[in-house]
Amino acid sequence: MVARYIGCMAQPSPGSLALLFGRIGNLTFGGGDPTMAALYQELVARRRWLTAEQYGLIWSLARVTPGTNLLAFCVGVGWRLAGLSGALAAVLALTLPSAAIVVWLTYACQALRANAWAMAAIAGVLAAAVGMMLTGAWQILRPHLKARTWPRAVVISGGALVLARLLALNPIAVLALGALAGAFWISPDETK
Amino acid sequence: MNAVILYFLLLKATATTFTGLASLPVVRDDLVVERKVLTDRQLAAAVAAGQTTPGPLGLYIVSVGYFVAGVPGACAGCLALLTPAFLILPLLKYLAGRAEGRRVRSAVQSLTLSAAGLIVAAAYPLAENALTGPLTAAIALASFLFLALTRRDTAWVIAGSALLGLVARIAG
Repeated sequence: MVARYIGCMAQPSPGSLALLFGRIGNLTFGGGDPTMAALYQELVARRRWLTAEQYGLIWSLARVTPGTNLLAFCVGVGWRLAGLSGALAAVLALTLPSAAIVVWLTYACQALRANAWAMAAIAGVLAAAVGMMLTGAWQILRPHLKARTWPRAVVISGGALVLARLLALNPIAVLALGALAGAFWISPDETK
Repeated sequence: MNAVILYFLLLKATATTFTGLASLPVVRDDLVVERKVLTDRQLAAAVAAGQTTPGPLGLYIVSVGYFVAGVPGACAGCLALLTPAFLILPLLKYLAGRAEGRRVRSAVQSLTLSAAGLIVAAAYPLAENALTGPLTAAIALASFLFLALTRRDTAWVIAGSALLGLVARIAG
């Protein structure tokens, strides 16, 4: 037990971070939340590289960092465990393999433009992409559709839709107004 | 388009939003509406490519980069995706221990909620372009319901919608 405890306190190398983040990041579909759940299992429960509190702190700071939360989380964990090279190893291992697949898919999509069969299939996929975008919006909104929080969530997201669609306001301006509204209309989740 | 300019335009989108697809309205405004170096169809294909692939959300931006400027553009997209993540380091260094205030958390949460509305607004022109008849409209609806109501993989939606596109061509 003691030996196990000491073994668990050993600091991981950037290489072992790259292996872990590369494996979990590139084999887990569904984006941030499932990936972070899998990382919690590995980082906190199995390997004990982080305590639950350290994990929670990095997780909550990642949520207020611009960009994709999962990537900020990787940088934070990598940096905490192995410095700047750890941060780079974690985030690059998580991103580059998937990014290469995306480039290949995009290339295939462009190369097949002259093929009528491929275009028929792509037309189906483009229609599905409309549903994917709406799902993206829905996934943001859904956690806020609770008894106490839904009116604020619906007014803010609906207001943004109206400003963008009917008044053709620039997206950055809408986002800034959204943040401003939230700074003064505090979420009921935060007043507990 | 020059990959460096593209990097800064994409960075503008990734650095002002807080989740994967939330950057999409800003990307569309800059590249489709303002500079016309990307079409709505390509943007939709980029979203599909990004969602087909495992890994972090927001990867569609790599595909956008490739559409606009080839491999250098894809690298610019990847860099624009990664750059804001490093902003967590000053937060960890200087804020760790002190929890950020509830006003900041509320503002970030509200910004993300407004991004949900913006994504719906950005999906409009794409829907006009891609939903050409009852079949494509049904595909879009089925894709939304499948992804929103089940926890299954996006790959099923891609495979199913491609198959339906082929069936429609054989039938039509």
